[in-house]
Amino acid sequence: MTERVWEVFRQEHEGDPMIHSGNVNAPDDELAMHYAREFYGRRGESHRLWIVPRDAIAELDDPDLLKPPLDRSHKKPGGYLIKHKLEAARARATEAGE
Amino acid sequence: MHDADTIQPLNGRPPYAAGDADAFYAHVGTGGKVEADDWMPDDYRAAVLKFVEMHANSELMGVLPERDWIMRAPNLRRKLALTSKIQDEVGHAQLLYRVAEDLGKPRTQMLADLIDGKTKFHNVFHYPTKSWADVGIIAWLVDAAAIVSQQALRDSSYAPYARTMKKICWEESVHIMHGRDVVLTLMNGTDSQRAMVQEALDRWWGPLMQMHGPPTDPAKDKDLHWGIKAKNNEQLRQEFLSIYVPRILELGLTIPDAALRYDEADGRWEYTEPDWGELKSVVTGHGPASQERLEFRRVNFAETQWVRDALLGNATTAA
Repeated sequence: MTERVWEVFRQEHEGDPMIHSGNVNAPDDELAMHYAREFYGRRGESHRLWIVPRDAIAELDDPDLLKPPLDRSHKKPGGYLIKHKLEAARARATEAGE
Repeated sequence: MHDADTIQPLNGRPPYAAGDADAFYAHVGTGGKVEADDWMPDDYRAAVLKFVEMHANSELMGVLPERDWIMRAPNLRRKLALTSKIQDEVGHAQLLYRVAEDLGKPRTQMLADLIDGKTKFHNVFHYPTKSWADVGIIAWLVDAAAIVSQQALRDSSYAPYARTMKKICWEESVHIMHGRDVVLTLMNGTDSQRAMVQEALDRWWGPLMQMHGPPTDPAKDKDLHWGIKAKNNEQLRQEFLSIYVPRILELGLTIPDAALRYDEADGRWEYTEPDWGELKSVVTGHGPASQERLEFRRVNFAETQWVRDALLGNATTAA
């Protein structure tokens, strides 16, 4: 029986994101769970563990897709610099009201 | 008009094509990180593997001096703490062997090389223990010297190693408190208990000063150059001395080095040159307890073969 690599994700408190913690080497999911519990839960530091076979993970790391050389600032709150526009609009409204 | 709603910098993934060693080394040389499945040159892979394997060996061998004291611990809480520390250290070995395995060397081969004396482990684990004070000095000062270098490894260019070190450092900080607590308890005890701590410190000081290794030429240190480690040997030793010399002296202990002093002008610790000959001899298997410890591992490896066989065998029928 050959061993496989299982990636372990840990949730510290209920509702937290599952964060990658490391991995274990085990022949099946039962042993993988025992190992993961020993390495990532023996101090009571975990609320939940996900144990996933490494080869089940589909990875996307193509920079052409993830970091394309195009301006994406319109997709982020920081892409809208409204300070001076807001000042101008307030000034205009105040002026019109007077 | 203030139409500076413009472009924010885009941080793309560092471009190095598989096979382009020059671009790879430019990447790690400027703080770039490497993942297990990224392409890397063979010499970088070999250097990380050697470094991590030696670290894993040290964690595995490092529990043997402490193991001798489980049955002699003075009370139940100390026994629990010591057992728990030993479990942590073996766990660190497992985590680190896992990192090393992903670089291409099977764990069974690493264990075989260790017990055959082909690979190394840290100098401090080649010495015998003589009293309960050794347990305190090891957990406090040996772990402290180790954590100084381990904290720097959280910045390693090899990202799986750096992440593992974060978890390890967190656990080591518990061990240091355990060791300091043991030492403080003894120092608040009787004269003979204080003498026991002093005697242990006298024996361990030499190996502690050797532990980070002789000063190296940073220009020739490829582990440093490639960001596998972030600080050189002398920086680590200086850091250890700055933190721990005051903490040792404030307890009324004497450090067995008459030349030890902090040079304000140079901003560095001066000390008697450690015995580098002893370091070299010890880490090549000629320390006072080297062969005894390796023999324990050989016997233990043979005696536990049935467990590994059973686990893998059962898994076959269960799967």
